[in-house]
Amino acid sequence: MYKYDHIDQTLVDQRVTQFRDQVERRLNGTLAEEEFRPLRLQNGLYHQRHAYMLRIAIPYGLLSAKQLRTLAFIADKYDRGYGHFTTRQNIQFNWVELEQTPDILAELAKVEMHAIQTSGNCIRNITSDAFAGVAADEYIDPRPICELLRQWSTLHPEFAHLPRKFKFAINGAKEDRTVFLCHDVGIELKKNPNSNNGELTDELTADIYAGGGMGRTPILGSLIKQSLPWHFLPSYLTALLRVYNRFGRRDNLYKARIKILVKALGPEEFARQVETEWAQFHNDSKQGKDNFTQDEWDRVAKHFTKPSYRPLQVFSNSQLQSHAESTLNANEKIGFTRWLERNVKPHQVPGYASVILSLKPHGTTAPGDATSDQMNAIADLADQYSFGELRVTHEQNLVLADIEQAELLNLWRAAKNYNLVLPNIGLLTDIIACPGGDFCSLANAKSLPIAKAIQERFDNLDYLHDLGDITLNISGCINSCGHHHVGNIGVLGVDKDGEEWYQITLGGEQGKDASIGKVIGPSFYANEIPDVITSLINTYVEQRTADESFIDTYRRLGIAPFKETAYRSNGKHSKESNKGAIA
Amino acid sequence: MNKQIISFPINSRPSLVPNEWQVWDGEQDEDGIPDLEHGLHKVLVPFHWWITHYKNPDITQRANQGDIGIWFAADDDILKHADIIEASKSLWPVIGAHFPIFRDGRSFSTAALLRDRFAWQGEIRAIGDVLIDQLIQSSRVGFDAFELRADQNLDVALKQFDLFSVVTQNSWRDQRATIAAS
Repeated sequence: MYKYDHIDQTLVDQRVTQFRDQVERRLNGTLAEEEFRPLRLQNGLYHQRHAYMLRIAIPYGLLSAKQLRTLAFIADKYDRGYGHFTTRQNIQFNWVELEQTPDILAELAKVEMHAIQTSGNCIRNITSDAFAGVAADEYIDPRPICELLRQWSTLHPEFAHLPRKFKFAINGAKEDRTVFLCHDVGIELKKNPNSNNGELTDELTADIYAGGGMGRTPILGSLIKQSLPWHFLPSYLTALLRVYNRFGRRDNLYKARIKILVKALGPEEFARQVETEWAQFHNDSKQGKDNFTQDEWDRVAKHFTKPSYRPLQVFSNSQLQSHAESTLNANEKIGFTRWLERNVKPHQVPGYASVILSLKPHGTTAPGDATSDQMNAIADLADQYSFGELRVTHEQNLVLADIEQAELLNLWRAAKNYNLVLPNIGLLTDIIACPGGDFCSLANAKSLPIAKAIQERFDNLDYLHDLGDITLNISGCINSCGHHHVGNIGVLGVDKDGEEWYQITLGGEQGKDASIGKVIGPSFYANEIPDVITSLINTYVEQRTADESFIDTYRRLGIAPFKETAYRSNGKHSKESNKGAIA
Repeated sequence: MNKQIISFPINSRPSLVPNEWQVWDGEQDEDGIPDLEHGLHKVLVPFHWWITHYKNPDITQRANQGDIGIWFAADDDILKHADIIEASKSLWPVIGAHFPIFRDGRSFSTAALLRDRFAWQGEIRAIGDVLIDQLIQSSRVGFDAFELRADQNLDVALKQFDLFSVVTQNSWRDQRATIAAS
């Protein structure tokens, strides 16, 4: 994984010094809260319902065991012993003190981490595929480009106060695990088939999608540039961001994202304006210096070479099961078999596999939460089994990317002790959820009790496995941090006359075939939600053809049969029905 | 107006210097710039006012004496007015760019374009809601003079420019530091 050079290290160290001074000025009253706010946000510090929350970047989802131990240390020393992994490859601590944040940032800087630009109206943490470099379906390892763009965007002076936040996601695989179509800019890396040059880096091109996003106006990004040679990314993105910085709306917070500008101009006109601006860079030798060089590629890419894989025998799942047979009791056999099926993913290298550690136990902790004990244990597992590295997924789970297949059983046993092997990856209870109204001051409604209630309702693993692939995403408000728009089932908290209600969307999907879910009708009370989900699932089970997934059944039948059953015994909106909030 | 500004020319050290320029909002007088006989003689006029008045002989004369500069509002599209800017810029000793509020970053792009596209070599002065914590970014994109909001501590302000010794992207003031692959 990437190692800071002295430039990277100097920059994060000096950023800590800068923030320490800003906090001091805030505390001694020479910096007003209103003017401090954008500064602390650009260092990931929110003021939440109960306390300050610090969001720390895990650039493109890559984490070392050492870094994870530091996060565990921070959780214990400065927070309440746990952290929350987010959908955009960050970790959040919910209970920090303003006075201590410079010290936390200094601890992070020691292990090459920071909270720079994890919030605020600037270029946010750049996200990518949690399986980058190991996925069997990958055609380009996106990490060198991610790192080059991380450096390029860090403290970029021209784009320090954009109209609104700006999120990049970068994909290099056949499947999309980054939701790049729902980002302000999505970058899809490809090998240029027309290139005659043998060098990999010269063959690398980028398709640029702009104007995707969730929130109040969910929309998928439009392709605005095809086959951009990789080294032009800084100048092209500067041109793109300059058009947005100059012309994005600043009069209305809800209309300030780039998607509104792209929509207002039309994608073709937006692309034309970017192209016009970019042409100036292109033609000017001084500006040409903005572009990445082969030296820079080499400097960064050398950190993303393959680890020292061993030549190994390849095992099928049934071989792995039969090897394990004699040492497992009946329950363990089922658990291990299901885990192989759901939580173990194919790897580029024969004899290796990637393992997803589930941070979605049924009903006991919030989706994406990990305790400091779990973090330390996972760090040990990473050291022992996976070259000391791990990754954070968009679905708020953790990945050990390079496991020898022959070690899977040992890993499973070890991770089981820390409640990390629930075989529910990609199933109904692998819920994406924002922290919601329990923590967030923006939220209209709570997310976590809803997630808990659904997980408790669907606690039968036999049944979950029978249902197969299905995504359920929960957001506590229209800011959509829980990505409900792209969940097969989406749950959105809304406020009606001071009460918490929940709106259901169906048919959302992430990936190359992404779609935005449709609202099924009027919203429900909190404690109706498990029944509503049950009726949606029952409709699917009754209507599905053999092997048909939930989303395929939905796409075949449309919303009507689901809607009909969902409202048959719920959503009457009668106060006399004694329905209310989930305690 | 602030009696002192920070001047930070490229390849030089930042320092406090007397403020010689009055920023005029263009609104108090229909007929022309305010009477400057009894105060400062130099005035930055709004660019939109310049467009409609620069052919006025009195204005031309005062501009020729070096007493008139212009300032761009955050929402001025300077590329749309490229012809007028190219034709007029030799008359301006100073260009201002305005921050209606500190967290409005449009003037960062204005300054970058003035340096890149118009090859403007003269002073670009940050005016308006200019706070200590905008100085680093603005000094990098093209600004080299700063009239801070009156309540800002100038000693604290001057220290900002030394906070970072490295940058990771190019800008008007500095090129990104790079280390060759070893």
